[in-house]
Amino acid sequence: MAIDCEDQELLDGFLAETTELLEKLDDDLISLEKSPEDADLMNRIFRSIHTVKGASSFLGFDMLVKVTHKTEDVLNRLRKVELRLNSEIMDVILEAVDLVKTLVADIKAGEIVERDLEGTIAKLIPFLSENAVEATVLAPVFAPKEESAPAAAGAAPSTAAGPEPVSEPEPAAAESKQAAPQPAAPQQAAPPPQPKPQPVKEAAKPAPPKGGEDLADNSTVRVDVKRLDDLMNQVGELVLERNRMIQLYSDFQTGLDPTGFGDDFGKLSKRLNFVTSELQMQVLKMRMLPVEKVFKKFPRIVRNLARDLGKEVDLIIYGEETELDRSVVDEIGDPLIHLIRNALDHGLETPDERLAAGKGRTGTVVLSAAHEGNQIVISIKDDGRGINPDKIARKAIDKGLVSEEQVAAMGTREILDLIFLPGFSTKEQTTDLSGRGVGMDVVRTNIRKLNGIIEIKNELGHGSEFILKLPLTLAIIQSLLVEVEGEVYSIPLASVIETMRVSKKEFHMIGGQEVLKLRDSVLPLLRLQQAFGVSEVYTERDTCYVVIVGVAEKRIGLIVTRLLGQQEVAIKSLGKFLANLPGIGGSTIMGDGRVALIVDPIGLVGGGAA
Amino acid sequence: METALTKVKSEEYGGELIQLVSFNLEKEEYGINVLMVREIIRMLNITRVPNTPHYVEGVINLRGKVIPIINLRKKFDLMENDYDKRTRIMVMEVVGELMGFIVDEVSEVIRISEKEIQPPPPVVSSGIEQECMAGVINQANRLLVLLDLEKMFTADERRLFSNVG
Repeated sequence: MAIDCEDQELLDGFLAETTELLEKLDDDLISLEKSPEDADLMNRIFRSIHTVKGASSFLGFDMLVKVTHKTEDVLNRLRKVELRLNSEIMDVILEAVDLVKTLVADIKAGEIVERDLEGTIAKLIPFLSENAVEATVLAPVFAPKEESAPAAAGAAPSTAAGPEPVSEPEPAAAESKQAAPQPAAPQQAAPPPQPKPQPVKEAAKPAPPKGGEDLADNSTVRVDVKRLDDLMNQVGELVLERNRMIQLYSDFQTGLDPTGFGDDFGKLSKRLNFVTSELQMQVLKMRMLPVEKVFKKFPRIVRNLARDLGKEVDLIIYGEETELDRSVVDEIGDPLIHLIRNALDHGLETPDERLAAGKGRTGTVVLSAAHEGNQIVISIKDDGRGINPDKIARKAIDKGLVSEEQVAAMGTREILDLIFLPGFSTKEQTTDLSGRGVGMDVVRTNIRKLNGIIEIKNELGHGSEFILKLPLTLAIIQSLLVEVEGEVYSIPLASVIETMRVSKKEFHMIGGQEVLKLRDSVLPLLRLQQAFGVSEVYTERDTCYVVIVGVAEKRIGLIVTRLLGQQEVAIKSLGKFLANLPGIGGSTIMGDGRVALIVDPIGLVGGGAA
Repeated sequence: METALTKVKSEEYGGELIQLVSFNLEKEEYGINVLMVREIIRMLNITRVPNTPHYVEGVINLRGKVIPIINLRKKFDLMENDYDKRTRIMVMEVVGELMGFIVDEVSEVIRISEKEIQPPPPVVSSGIEQECMAGVINQANRLLVLLDLEKMFTADERRLFSNVG
């Protein structure tokens, strides 16, 4: 059934608003479970669902109305403290919200699909009867009646809510737990109230989990009006400067005042510089999204996972207001899910194991984000059992990923890095959660794609921490321009640790590798001139510059002829024919219109493997 | 192959007319379908790119877009010569990507009938790989080699292109 809606604008508005409300709802519901007494939160949740219901009934989305209406009723009872929130109720409400998301996703896709609403509604209904307290006994009797009049059942609690105040919330919670599954059974056995053919129902089933996740799409941006106004102002100034420039040139041509031209032009270029960098900041800000966008789906995931695994977990989130570029936000979701899953599945122990190890029953997973210079640092930390390097090494050998000799030569850090190998898994059996050996490979691939760094901190018995360091944006970077025998290269400043001028006499050879003694460490050197096959022009010089770059824990000194300075550069792709060149990460266009290549320190330092 | 050629109905020839840009390399004349050619520019500053096959001259800035440049002389193993004022870069779209090709000189756009295209002779004296040749055009006083650049960048070659270390 195609959507019949006269006013596309109205529909778009509805979709945007609903999507936003639903995203928030998940988060709020999880918080509510933790603090059920929070009346404000409760009211907010109620209002959200109510708004969705109102809007969908106005636009005539009957299925949406049905589900939201029932959900709203249950929430209403919770709000009036006629019901006591427990995890059973929360499960059902979350299921209903998922269903709502699926329905909204259908509308967004432009095609309304007949979905199986009855299953979810049937689960909601038991909580609606004013007798939910004694539901255990009454449920089977109730079920057939409600089937014929679902609307009546919805209306009932609001009118008859008063007479049976739940004076003893404890039994209510306990009994409704048992009540939940029972009415569902007769419902399914009875003929479906809507004469819908069976195949439709079955076809609809695999869809829901997917539909809900796709809800948040990134094809449109909502921008603060103030930011837009600021941008307009900047553009206005840019236009003024352009006019000034044209004026200046025509004055110059007519030879009006050739002496002042230099000065005026200098001032003009200063102002232009100022305006464009402001403009750049503004546009960059518009592309920025709070990382909350990604983080807010995690409480839900953690809750479900913890229940499936039989573990008790507290998820603590810090810094969700940290902003980063849209392109980074899009890529970061998957790796984080894998890392969180790992923390819960591999890292945290079961409550019993924890007690035996002398820890609290409940494990903690801390997810945090923060700015650190030009980077964003995201960390996932658990207080579980930590990673056992011996176990990792053994597994990797068993799986034939590395040989015994290789492992023997490895440090702890290298052994921990083995978990990123595709095909690596410590699980004996593949479950739907883990064991296929894909997860960490996804993490590594995505983080590398973003030019990020992964660090693992590990303390056996006390937990592990995965730290992701990502660039703020992928389009424009700060870079250090260097000259290598006449050719100009640009090194991302993010990976430059320090630069120094040294005499060639200070270089030493160790095992065929040129090194430099730097304070108390020995730094391996790489001549960019050799790595890039540049023909030598300056043979007579005996001093040169060393640019020390770092990738993850590795450090290397790049030998260059000269440092040219720091510049902000826009990254241009080299096209697919020249992608994957070792040591070259892209290109940029310089002030004089020439192309300079951007050095990819990862490619130089780690080869392909690290 | 046929779909890639410009087809112009013509009563004169009674067949399909195609337009070719003709260019010279080492005194030989080549033709390339005009639809492939985006623009023809004079030599620019080329930035060398390390670790690429020898025939990749480097990259240029084409109005804000960075595109790779291929030296057709080197690609076809012809003798290298210095660039002069006739040297041109032909910017073409090959398998969806813009690329520049350095040629000795670009002469003209000619129209030929599809019927004039003959299959390439089995043996080619110069270094042009057989598969890049789409055919030979034999007109009164000239001989043109019709090139198919898409074939020049077959899947294999492209992989090689990107992984040369």
